[in-house]
Amino acid sequence: MTDMEERIAAYIAHRLPNAHGVAVDQLSRIPGGSSQETFKFRAVWDEGSGPADRWLILRRAPPAGLVVAERDVEFSVYDAIGDSDVPVPKVYFMEMDPQWLDRPFFVMDMAPGKPGHFWTSDDPFEGQAQAIGERFWRHLGALAAIDHRAVGLEDLRNGSGEPSLWAAELGHWESILDENESMIDPVVRGAIRWLRANPPPPAAKQAIVHGDYRVGNFLFTPDGRISAVLDWEMCHIGDPLEDIAWALNPMWSVERWFPAEEGIALWEQASGLSVDPAALDWWRLFAAVKACAIWTTAEASFNSGRSRDMNVATTAVRGMSFHRKEILDHMAARGAIG
Amino acid sequence: MTLSIEAAVRGVADALREKVAPTLTDSFATEVTRLSTNLLTIMANAADDAVALRVEENARVRTLLGDGAAVVGDTVLAARLAQAAASTDPGFRISELDRETDRLRRLLVRLQVALELQDDVACRTLNQRIWSLLRDIETSRAPRL
Repeated sequence: MTDMEERIAAYIAHRLPNAHGVAVDQLSRIPGGSSQETFKFRAVWDEGSGPADRWLILRRAPPAGLVVAERDVEFSVYDAIGDSDVPVPKVYFMEMDPQWLDRPFFVMDMAPGKPGHFWTSDDPFEGQAQAIGERFWRHLGALAAIDHRAVGLEDLRNGSGEPSLWAAELGHWESILDENESMIDPVVRGAIRWLRANPPPPAAKQAIVHGDYRVGNFLFTPDGRISAVLDWEMCHIGDPLEDIAWALNPMWSVERWFPAEEGIALWEQASGLSVDPAALDWWRLFAAVKACAIWTTAEASFNSGRSRDMNVATTAVRGMSFHRKEILDHMAARGAIG
Repeated sequence: MTLSIEAAVRGVADALREKVAPTLTDSFATEVTRLSTNLLTIMANAADDAVALRVEENARVRTLLGDGAAVVGDTVLAARLAQAAASTDPGFRISELDRETDRLRRLLVRLQVALELQDDVACRTLNQRIWSLLRDIETSRAPRL
């Protein structure tokens, strides 16, 4: 076993005190997942009822990344909605103590399937776009239908009952910009002023918002199923339109492979809610602002040397420009440029 | 030294792509190499005109700040805008120019806030010119891969 495999094995033995013969091998890091370091590994042990042999995933907090996230959010959400209609991996251990692997981490099942990457393929779903598109929207609708209090997620951001969800989220991302911007961006600041001066109607429901629901953040199998929705570290309570707008953002929009109108109809059916097009338009501009805030944290962490993740750096550089252009298009459509 | 930053960075990117990447078997290392190559190419393409682009951008922002000084009703802000419009870049290091760009952009944001509050025809026209400049800046600064 390598040093890290030995440390993981020691941790599993600590968490499974009745197990013997705990061993870990074939540890490898999985590319992507910029906000967390993701590793897969094989673990074997025996708790007396026969040998267990499992492929598991370890998600570890990076030294610095794309967003400042509470490290236990993703684990808490996986745990809370594991029995819902939204497919997520089964989680086992959450560990905040740095003595084991230097930084907080959690361990979960390795779900079958693979991500479809929007940047490296014209057909990321390998001929299954129709089936996956339908499930993509149905799962998002199912998420919006969950009562976050009933599944114990009141502690998520805004979970205790924010009077104005749009204002809370806009303020959240503006403060992240304030904290991380090395050079002020008048485009993003202008969009924030517009959003604040032209608020959307109140949310139809206080819903669980994934926060990064998009192509690239789920796994699919060859039969057209979505086996797991991943990357929940920006999950919070908010207006469910936020996730729809994010999913439709042109950088990764599922609309390239599945019509948005059809998807929104499926979402309405699964959630029991309806989409107000004007409100959705507000959230689409918000999505571009939020993306710029995320890229700003990424650039800041790479500039400072806290992160040396090449995915963080290149995505930040290209994403920032892409979303700033998108904001300019939105503002032109609103008459700002004349 | 006469080797240019652009040539050196592009050379490192080529070496990673052509010499290092084909020898790798680990998928994570392969992806890191691919992304590193992309980032180096973007930076190489931004090296030659980096100073010219910043100097031009600062000059165009100063012009708008000067025009703003003649439009805004807030006399304190107008004086600061006029002062910034008459200023010059402190030097030609990228770091010096970037600090100046940030200073001018912060004033530009303050000017836009004032224009949006005052909201008369002259203000709206000037604000549209500012947004138009912001679009030009984005076009010129967009990463080239």
